[in-house]
Amino acid sequence: MIWEVFRQAKTGEYHTHCGNVHAPDREMAKQFAAIQHGRRKPTNSLWVVPREEIGEIGSDEVAFGGTTDKSYRWATAYNTTGTDAREVVESEDEQVTAEKQRGDD
Amino acid sequence: MMDLGTVKERAGPREFSPADDLPREYREAATRMIEFHANSEIMGAYLERPFIRQSPSIDRKLAFSAKVQDEIGHGQLLYRAAESLGVKTREEMLDDLANGDGKFLNCFHYPLESWVEVPMISFFVDGAAMRRQATLRRTSWEPYAHAMDKVCFEEGFHVKHGEDILKELMTGSRKEQQMTQEAFEEWWPRIIQFFGPTDDKSTHHDFASSVGLKQQSNDDLRNAFLDQYIPKARKYGLEIPDEPRIRERDDGTYAVEEDDLDWDEFFTIAKNEYEPGLGQINGRKHAQEAVDWVRETIERDTPAASGHEPQAAD
Ligand SMILES: [Fe+2]
Ligand SMILES: [Fe+2]
Repeated sequence: MIWEVFRQAKTGEYHTHCGNVHAPDREMAKQFAAIQHGRRKPTNSLWVVPREEIGEIGSDEVAFGGTTDKSYRWATAYNTTGTDAREVVESEDEQVTAEKQRGDD
Repeated sequence: MMDLGTVKERAGPREFSPADDLPREYREAATRMIEFHANSEIMGAYLERPFIRQSPSIDRKLAFSAKVQDEIGHGQLLYRAAESLGVKTREEMLDDLANGDGKFLNCFHYPLESWVEVPMISFFVDGAAMRRQATLRRTSWEPYAHAMDKVCFEEGFHVKHGEDILKELMTGSRKEQQMTQEAFEEWWPRIIQFFGPTDDKSTHHDFASSVGLKQQSNDDLRNAFLDQYIPKARKYGLEIPDEPRIRERDDGTYAVEEDDLDWDEFFTIAKNEYEPGLGQINGRKHAQEAVDWVRETIERDTPAASGHEPQAAD
């Protein structure tokens, strides 16, 4: 049985996919995951999930968002005056980064 | 189970997750706070929804409908974060909102009647909300903090679009400028009350902050908001109303004279007993009922046996 493994580096961070292990049951999957994925990289917690429990939907089946021009949804589309609140600037920066990453693909 | 002392000791940003066995007091306080937040997202969206239709241009219409869609999404995220505390189910929270027991932000109890009022919500109230939400990325309930990551990512657009509407109105005709100023005067005290009563009158503040749920006090948030948004308002030519009196400190920051605000009205609203607010609650309830058949059809249709093309919400 294949178990997908998600690793969280520090308390409060996201569990992100980091690989999978082959194990007969959940207990063994946790042990293997700990050895294979929690041994070297900083780890606070691991999730193991049976692969067959994972649902997947891909870009060949559905048109995901963001492929048409919807610039009106981005903070960068609006020119305002004066200093913006720092959380607004932060949000705008995150949007710019996300947009850049899309271009990288 | 973790005792309250340990909770307070450990209470740092994103410290607790559903894997922790937390005491009832923590879970109830967190549920109250997140449910209130979730309800507010939904009620805000309902308040703004008519202005998708009433937008003065196609650009505004597109942006405004994207914004309202975002807000409903925020509500959904937050009900999940609240539900993960194990105190109330999503169904219970939505039922409470429909039957008038669910609490939500004071600003969304007032009717929104004309386009000139729109930036009062989508610039000032969204700006205030964003100020608060940015601090909540450090709340101790991890699912709440994670929801705030996504919410803050999207909110920058709301605030800047709202500001753009304000700018357009304030550089428009004299009549438009005047009507916008009037709307501002009406909404200004409500906007200031967004942050709730002063710390000493706030019933839940001490506990929520001692367990790391709340990251900044009402007073600090309100002052930070004023520091940022008074200069903005002035820049667009809005005149700050005389009441509530706002003191400018020596360092150029501002503080508000709390006694100039109508706290009776505020607490009537907080109890869901304010007449216009009931209109908002029932309005949403009726909208819910009107589209009941859609939900039922979807539920009856699941799992879809045949190859329905799935449609991502774009
Ligand atoms: Fe929102
Ligand atoms: Fe918003």
